[in-house]
Amino acid sequence: MADPLKPRPAFAPWDRREIPGLFDVEESARRVGIYKWIEMRLFETLGGWVATVPELDVKLVLGRHCYHHAWHAELWDKRLPELREMNTTRLTVPANDAMEEFMESIREPEAPELTIEKLVGVYRVLIPRKVAAYTYHLNATSRITDAPTQRSLGFILQDEHADWTEGEMLLQSLIETEDEVDRAARRQVELEKMVLRAGGITGPGTLGEVPESVGAQVEGATA
Amino acid sequence: MKKNLPPSELARDSRFVRSTIMDAIMDPRNLAMSERDLGSAKLQPGRPAAADRARNLMHGIFTGEIQALEGAGRTTFDFDDDEAPFALKLDMARQCWDESRHVEISVKLGDWMGTEIGEFNEATFLYEAACATDPILRLCGVNRALEGLAIDVFNTMREFGDISGDPILEFCEDWMLADEVTHVKMGSDWLRRLTENDPERRERALEFQRGVDKLFSLGGFRGETEENPIQLARKLRAMAGFSTDEIDEISEISVQAQEDARAMSAGAAPSS
Amino acid sequence: MSHSISLTPEAFTLVKYDAAELLAIAEAAATSVGVPDDVAISIEVDEALPNPLIASLVDDVDGTLTCWFTGGTFEDPQRQAELQRDTAKVELAAAFLRGRDRLGGGFEGAPPDGEISDRQRAIWDVYTDGRLARQGYRLNQARRRYAYRLQAGFNDVADAEYEQAWVAGAMSWDALLAVEARLADADPRPVSKKPIRRESLRPS
Repeated sequence: MADPLKPRPAFAPWDRREIPGLFDVEESARRVGIYKWIEMRLFETLGGWVATVPELDVKLVLGRHCYHHAWHAELWDKRLPELREMNTTRLTVPANDAMEEFMESIREPEAPELTIEKLVGVYRVLIPRKVAAYTYHLNATSRITDAPTQRSLGFILQDEHADWTEGEMLLQSLIETEDEVDRAARRQVELEKMVLRAGGITGPGTLGEVPESVGAQVEGATA
Repeated sequence: MKKNLPPSELARDSRFVRSTIMDAIMDPRNLAMSERDLGSAKLQPGRPAAADRARNLMHGIFTGEIQALEGAGRTTFDFDDDEAPFALKLDMARQCWDESRHVEISVKLGDWMGTEIGEFNEATFLYEAACATDPILRLCGVNRALEGLAIDVFNTMREFGDISGDPILEFCEDWMLADEVTHVKMGSDWLRRLTENDPERRERALEFQRGVDKLFSLGGFRGETEENPIQLARKLRAMAGFSTDEIDEISEISVQAQEDARAMSAGAAPSS
Repeated sequence: MSHSISLTPEAFTLVKYDAAELLAIAEAAATSVGVPDDVAISIEVDEALPNPLIASLVDDVDGTLTCWFTGGTFEDPQRQAELQRDTAKVELAAAFLRGRDRLGGGFEGAPPDGEISDRQRAIWDVYTDGRLARQGYRLNQARRRYAYRLQAGFNDVADAEYEQAWVAGAMSWDALLAVEARLADADPRPVSKKPIRRESLRPS
């Protein structure tokens, strides 16, 4: 039997976590505030769309996914005070004007015949962008000092991947003609260009790189 | 996307046919039936046409859940951050998930009972309760009135399932009932919180709710007599935060609604 | 028209049914299920009773198939007070088939429809629908199964009897009573929950 008084290292040999991370408290808080803003706008949009889509299965999926993103917003709302941001609305803002414009475009389609446009915006542009940004954050931040953010990111990414798959499957089942392929592609191109102008969902540096051509043009670019 | 989507723009596929509540109330057969002794109108397995009446009600539940989902969804979108607190919108988003699940359950129950999607027509008066521009009125209309009706209906169906020995129906209705009690409580809690220092706004909200409750009594559909197919679920309403006075008031409103419907059917003017 | 069919009312006032159209549907239904040409048919529609109050009674009254239906039996559930032609044909065919059962199909000894129990009627309806389905009528079998289960019970014995009744090419009233007895033995619900039909939509 092992001696209970024998000293053991604080980190087990298989626990390879280290301190350094790319984000300090402020940067983590900045990103979390932006995430919260995006999740709020997204869940509101999905909720608003439920009544506007005639396809019954899409209605139900939107209702379910609405809650997923609301819960993500709630997780981020709870994380902000822990990152020294007591006024949780102060950092709940879009990364920049271009990102605000992008989200307005995401939620713009209303007519019942525009289900493809609605879903492309969310499941082929926004959610893939969120998955990328969240994954980068998960990998880049300190596994020890920013563990609570990592934990939330883990749960959220699980939802995002599942919802992404479900949304993509809905789209593939809805797109039945070449004309509809073109519609989906046009919508995706239009929105991708907008988010490119924004520099990514958290602005330039979303994935850790700041292309010179974008960084110089977009207001609010991080250092 | 605009705010405040009117009921006429609720999107449906080709299986759904719209009707109005006034069509049902003004059906000339209502007067003819009221002059006959058809026995108790309560939904019970031993009553004539019980299976088809239950199927009809189940389809009504199905379309009602779609409208509840749509109403909750619109509430997450229609109000800006300064009009509705973040926590309120989170509760509405949670309700979206719950109502979405209820639609799924209703579809499965429809399969079980042999009811096809769109087999019966759909009236949008339930969604109309979600069309108020004041979030408090909307909460009262949806979470207290509409979900309160859901408690009454699901309780009736659960009892129907229990008496008839249908394990699926009883199981499903009981699970949905648990959610509805949560939704009504959400509405009661938010009404109290948001009108704590504004008694006039509270009274306006409750007045709106009374109007919706009367509409939802559907000319005698819900009440506490043998003439009402759906029975008021007092105990469950109390659990959900309704006071005894409020429940008594709904009972009185139901009686009035039934008398008004009879009068309208006979060509007389209704009471206010 | 090869059958002598009478319809009451001769004109509908509370619903938008056309009497001539309903008579034509009845004629087609009677022919499809093989009602002999020399058998008179009398149809009474209680137009005051709407969908979902779906009910019908059929008896052999001195050789005449005497049928009573609620108006709701023929009503389009999507369009208030309008006739649903396909449903009307199925319901009329079902009634006439049971009428044929009474005339010489093994149910000559069955009590009048107003006196048989809900459970007995449920079994007979399954037997009827199975025959109609094999004739090509489009039926909602899940609906029939649910209505049957409400009366027969939600258990394996009831489900097995359902399958037998559905595929039966022939059945007699005595055989039906034997099915009923087996269902009663297997039904765990208290007897008081299964009353003989004391109430009817039809005014006595």
